[in-house]
Amino acid sequence: MTESKPTDKHTSIPLPEGYLPTENKVLSAVTEIAKGMATVISHVGREPVTEEYPEVMPEMTNRFHGRLSLLAKSDGTDLCIGCKACAKVCPCDDLIQIEMHRDGDKKPVIDQFTIDMGRCIFCGNCTEVCPVDCIKMLPDFELADYSREALVLDKFDLTLKGNESDEWRAAHDLVPTV
Amino acid sequence: MAIPQLELPEKPGFSSLQGVTFDQGLSTEDMVINIGPQHPSTHGVLRLVTTINGEIVKDMEPVIGYLHRSKEKMAEGRSYFQYQPTIDRVEYLSSFFDHYAYVTALEGIANLKVPKRVQYIRVICMELNRITSHLLWFGTFLLDLGATSPFFYAFRDREAIFDLFEELTGARMMYNYFRFGGVNADMPVGWLDQVRGVINELPARFDEYEAIATKNPIILDRCLGVGLFNLQDCLDYGVTGPAMRACGVDNDLRKTQPYSSYEDFTFDVPTESVGDVYARYKVRMAEMRESLKIIHQALDNMPGGDTAEVKKIQAEVDVVANEIKEAQKRVALAKKQEQEPVAADVTLAEKTIPVINADWQTYGQKVNLMTFKPPAGEAYSQVESPRGLLGCYVISDGTPKAYRVKWRGASFSNLTILPSLMIGNLYPDLMAIFGSLDIILPEVDR
Repeated sequence: MTESKPTDKHTSIPLPEGYLPTENKVLSAVTEIAKGMATVISHVGREPVTEEYPEVMPEMTNRFHGRLSLLAKSDGTDLCIGCKACAKVCPCDDLIQIEMHRDGDKKPVIDQFTIDMGRCIFCGNCTEVCPVDCIKMLPDFELADYSREALVLDKFDLTLKGNESDEWRAAHDLVPTV
Repeated sequence: MAIPQLELPEKPGFSSLQGVTFDQGLSTEDMVINIGPQHPSTHGVLRLVTTINGEIVKDMEPVIGYLHRSKEKMAEGRSYFQYQPTIDRVEYLSSFFDHYAYVTALEGIANLKVPKRVQYIRVICMELNRITSHLLWFGTFLLDLGATSPFFYAFRDREAIFDLFEELTGARMMYNYFRFGGVNADMPVGWLDQVRGVINELPARFDEYEAIATKNPIILDRCLGVGLFNLQDCLDYGVTGPAMRACGVDNDLRKTQPYSSYEDFTFDVPTESVGDVYARYKVRMAEMRESLKIIHQALDNMPGGDTAEVKKIQAEVDVVANEIKEAQKRVALAKKQEQEPVAADVTLAEKTIPVINADWQTYGQKVNLMTFKPPAGEAYSQVESPRGLLGCYVISDGTPKAYRVKWRGASFSNLTILPSLMIGNLYPDLMAIFGSLDIILPEVDR
């Protein structure tokens, strides 16, 4: 700690005259407290604004940033083309890991697609750059689990069925790819 | 350690202290107490090493850095778009402002045009965000002074605005919505009316808050004449925002250097002349009402109107544009096959392809976010955040990653004045003075 501190000059700034209330403080105090209490009491019987969460599930909006998932084509086959754009824009290091190879017709085959949801910050960057609208966010926010390992989702956990993907696309006005 | 003899300052505000002398022959001893880092009233993790003599504060030293996450260094290892979501975490109560500062700095470097519609959407977002930030301040400030009910009322109204943000951006607080030269997505259909519905109810709510708090005798006793500083102190310490405007100067970037079409809106900059805790309280309460004025004007004059109308016009334009493109293709095909094209096609193909009004789009010029590479250069952008002047300085060396990003947070500068306000003051005034400065610790530590 330094020995000398700046002197206290602020407390010596004069207040303008008549700034502090000079009239009968008791009278104004009683009326103002009564006014405040009346306002508070007027809230009695008001409809509650909270929801009883586990019993009443909140309805999430269309753009909600929830659990990540991979949409599939309508027939249930992979939509992902393995371009790794999502992994490139993700602010968390190595959160999204993709292993892929190309088959005889040079078509991409996704071997493994892993997302560590425990480290995801739900920013939505990956969903924005996906060229085939494959990686998307679901309105699912109940992600708690018993271990960190359980939050590492692989391709099987992430991929939606064909009809679920179609439902998602219909709800978001997306033209189905292929 | 020789501690300078404490002289009881003349403190005009606290009337009960007038004429009382503490030097009555009693031997008193200095005591050092630690306030924080885990303390409900420090709004985060701030540690105040305080030396007190009785009730009088003799020395105070803020210890910061408990929440340091190297936000500036992080920018150097990530691409511009990759870094953007982490800005939300710097100042999580009003992160639209941080995004705005960052995005405009890069728009300056890359020379991107921002459509009018985007500017208006940004204004609505920022002003709503200012209200949520001030509402949280209102609730916690009164909670520090011992009032509990206003906290719940403020959070109720804040939640209504967060629902709007969730509809727009998908997240309640970590928005990640502004983009270089535009916004992430256009507003949902009917969002403008939802905003109108929420903000029409707010003035009555503000009246309610004022009825509870503004003239309350306890609030008056604890706030009037407490924590005084003047304009010279603001300049010395770099205090900005509502704390500066409470000293009688109408310094507001929205007026002095209008950005994002603020020059289109008529609004007042609320000021108070005294510069005490109560003045800062009144400035913030008045600012929320001014924000409502701005939002109303932005809603009414939104270029293109509601998204449904823009979509309808876009669909009409698309039909015509498609016809022309098809005709051009047919003409090209006929020329290739050395045939005479149909006369109707030729006249149609010569027309210019119609485009929707440039002001109505959500992007001026769409950049590829993954490979966004602004030219070498530097830009500083500043924005009037709820806490004061927020600046972002970006240096680009032409690579996809920033060479340097520097943040100027208002909270850090506003915090520096706290020790000199407290020395010689009463210890119980700490929470009133500290609360009135409206500091958020993530922005101090970054």
